[in-house]
Amino acid sequence: MMRDYLFRRLLSAIPILIGVMLLTFLLFFVMQTPRAMALRILGPKVPPEAVANWLHHRGYDKPRFLNLRPGERVWDTQFVRHMTALARFDLGRSDATGEPVAAMFRRGMIPSLLITLPVFLVGLCLAVSVALLLVLARESALDFVGALLCVGMMSVPYMAWVIFGQWLMGVKLTWFPAFGFDLAGLGTTRFLVLPVALAVLAGLGADVRLYRAIFLEEIRQDYVRTARAKGASARRVLFVHVLKNGMISLATLVVASLPFLIMGSLVLESFFGIPGLGNLMMNAIRTSDFAVVRASVWLGSLLYLGGLLLTDLAYALVDPRVRFQ
Amino acid sequence: MPTFAPAALARTSAALALAAALAGCGNDPNPAPLRRARADGRPWIVSYRALGDDPRSLDPQVSYDTLGHAVISLLYDTPLEYQPFRTDPYELQPCLLDAMPERTRDARGGDLYTLRLKRGLKFTDDPCFAATAGRGREIVAADLAYAFQRIADPAVECPVLSVLQEPLPGLGEAYAAAKKTGRFDYDRPIAGVEIVDRYTLRLRLAKPYPQILYWLAMPFTAPVPREAVEYYDGKPHGGSAREQFRFHPVGTGAFRLAEWRRGRLLRLERHPGYAATRFPTDGWSAAEEARFRPLAGKPLPLIDEIQFSIIRESIPRWLLFRQGWLDSSGVSKDVFGSVLDAARELTPAFRARGFHLHRDANPATFYLVFNMTDPILGKNRKLRQAIACAYDRDLANEIFFNGIFLNAEQIVPPGVFGHQADLKSPWLRHDLALARRLLAEAGWPEGRDPATGRPLELTLDTTVDDPESRQMAEFEKGQIEQLGIRVRVIENLWARQQDKVDGGHFQIVTGGWQADYPDPENFFMLFAGRNAPPRGSNHSRYANPEFDRLFDQMRVMDNTPERRRIVRRLSAILNEDCPVVLLTHPVAYALNQPWAPRVTSNPLVANAAKYVAVDTAMRDRLRREWNRAPTWPAWAAAGALVALVAGAFLWSARHDA
Repeated sequence: MMRDYLFRRLLSAIPILIGVMLLTFLLFFVMQTPRAMALRILGPKVPPEAVANWLHHRGYDKPRFLNLRPGERVWDTQFVRHMTALARFDLGRSDATGEPVAAMFRRGMIPSLLITLPVFLVGLCLAVSVALLLVLARESALDFVGALLCVGMMSVPYMAWVIFGQWLMGVKLTWFPAFGFDLAGLGTTRFLVLPVALAVLAGLGADVRLYRAIFLEEIRQDYVRTARAKGASARRVLFVHVLKNGMISLATLVVASLPFLIMGSLVLESFFGIPGLGNLMMNAIRTSDFAVVRASVWLGSLLYLGGLLLTDLAYALVDPRVRFQ
Repeated sequence: MPTFAPAALARTSAALALAAALAGCGNDPNPAPLRRARADGRPWIVSYRALGDDPRSLDPQVSYDTLGHAVISLLYDTPLEYQPFRTDPYELQPCLLDAMPERTRDARGGDLYTLRLKRGLKFTDDPCFAATAGRGREIVAADLAYAFQRIADPAVECPVLSVLQEPLPGLGEAYAAAKKTGRFDYDRPIAGVEIVDRYTLRLRLAKPYPQILYWLAMPFTAPVPREAVEYYDGKPHGGSAREQFRFHPVGTGAFRLAEWRRGRLLRLERHPGYAATRFPTDGWSAAEEARFRPLAGKPLPLIDEIQFSIIRESIPRWLLFRQGWLDSSGVSKDVFGSVLDAARELTPAFRARGFHLHRDANPATFYLVFNMTDPILGKNRKLRQAIACAYDRDLANEIFFNGIFLNAEQIVPPGVFGHQADLKSPWLRHDLALARRLLAEAGWPEGRDPATGRPLELTLDTTVDDPESRQMAEFEKGQIEQLGIRVRVIENLWARQQDKVDGGHFQIVTGGWQADYPDPENFFMLFAGRNAPPRGSNHSRYANPEFDRLFDQMRVMDNTPERRRIVRRLSAILNEDCPVVLLTHPVAYALNQPWAPRVTSNPLVANAAKYVAVDTAMRDRLRREWNRAPTWPAWAAAGALVALVAGAFLWSARHDA
């Protein structure tokens, strides 16, 4: 049953992936021609012969979708070349630097994970704890103040958190570097604390509201009344029974976001100069490096599909009522 | 045990506090220097700088952008270089060469340039030098010749081959042969490049091309060791992959690459035994005599390490400069108002810090380009003159450039041979009455077609990569519309605009040119008929036989009074014909810390860092002063956290009924 389900899901992923890549390809080259991309990378003063060479060496002088040139194969086109390379997981070389994209990804993954993992773990623990506390204090003044604070925190834009944090902690108090990153064992921590803390704070309001709603849903269930009737304390009911059952809904939310930890954070990485995958992607778009863009989109799509699949699996695993069909 | 909220809170705060403590606090983002002291015991001096991005390539025969050259010129010396202090006019001096190249004529009217290398100069140590057990070997004439061969190698993709193959025989042929066989034959010499002896190279140019000297000061002609190019092939050897040569420079410059953490840091360290150049012995102004005289003739570089932080955004760059973590910075628009007062001087707060402010004129010109093949604009000189006359350049300067740019009166910027400081173009003086008269004479009284009464409609193509370019396009539209003409602004992405300009699909477009080298030829070639796109950068597609004839005469001349006369004539022709509306020569503000004052303001000297000295004692003192962390907020924050956790704990315990 489960094998069939998995097979079906994987099969359905193929047209989705082709569609995503087709869209990326179209969007990228609708915005600019390969020649303009070459000029952007090589510099506007580069003579046309050099541009033509550059395009030829990278296959950007092939037709886009259908090759109707005499003596050449019909499918010898840019899109088919890109797709077949990606299907073989050959990510190719960066158009801008000629560096293997796989090596660039491997290098960017660690800094990205160093930021996203702590943000994910600390954020989750903190949000669940605060949400439970608010549920415990439901309909009291504390709950009201909590809700107010959460909405307040949600209303502050992400950028504002980052800029204010950099100014306060990096400039005014000078506790942490306002910018920079250094992969140097424990020394790395001082570059991580500020971005991680800011990302946790920026996400806390929304997460607490969401988790609180999930737990409130649970607390109205029959089993809660039963537990209370049996003499379990409010705290025990909340932190044992409600938390456990609330985890089902929580798990589906959380698992879906797991694969994305690898892709890093676009805003944090570019504002703090962290050389992770988010930064890599931003820069690839900025510098018209199509090889890196397409590989990022490919990886992102795979991770997204993986995330969705994981969510479904997790849902079935933690909730016995769900069956694969 | 299930999760218990207050305990989890306490644990999280403890973990955060621990992490903060581990971090040792402090906001210095720079990594520790490579060493504490030099081999001779003197302190190791580091200069901290910022780069806007990673260089795309550190191959001198490939890189063709300012950012790449900023690093490459520190790693690779060129046969010639710019004298750092002489900027009016700019002047070349020998770098790897013993003297300026000797120019002679051959019987067929060609030019011979004899280049003699200084003896005993060495490449930096590198494992690629197997014959010398990793020690850098001596630089010889064959290395210079090898650079020219690489320019012609299709696999290298040198962007200036097409420019150099015209005067230098053999380059084009070598390229074509390699294209045919699929492999460049490095054992076959280039016809125009002759190795005379171990230290002497002769360039045999087919026709006079004095600009070749400027090319000898650009990284394209920097010698590279063949061993390094062959060793660093980017392929696996014995189980481990070697880097590509473009990421593993082995050069002759004042520094060598010590470390490159992509997206974060590029670290250079002094090239031990560097001997190609010394601190100049003259050229500075009388006011700088006391500062530079003690340095005259000293070995270079004066510092031991350069840390280039890769910082893509201007705000963090400024932030780190203000805290003292960077030695120099530009003044971006975001901070202009807080750094400079109305008189364009440093505000008192920054003057008190001892910052040095510099105004750097760039050898560049910005303009509006008319499409000379356009049926309306191309044939109507008076119409172009009227538009030029209507344009208020002072107002544009005030609104968009803080009033610091220079109004351009000729295409040739200041410092370049032939620039006339006193020239005033008759059609650039912002005179609306004159503009209206010209417009009427052009056949469009009050901007309308007298036959139909319909207003003249023109298009203005512009890039919209940022909000400012949109505002500027609106301003330009407004300036032209003062005459009753209607202007439709077409917003393009940069790439699309390049395509339109090259295809000639525009009426008016914004443009500009930054000097490759400070010779009038580099600017006037923008209007030579044969340089229309796609072959060249004559974007206006201006074609004037008299201009072309004078241009061809001027481009091969030495800087004589006769050449100056022709340059003036060329400027006059352009100013009269108005294929472009000349706008500005850009000027940029830059700041230096008091401990690392600037040595040269010559924008063509990309390796100025080798001349810079740093007062490290002053830097340490001021950094401490500027980054004093108050301790009370830490205690207050810790107290608040403890109160919060305890409060939550007590509250939940009380409600646990």
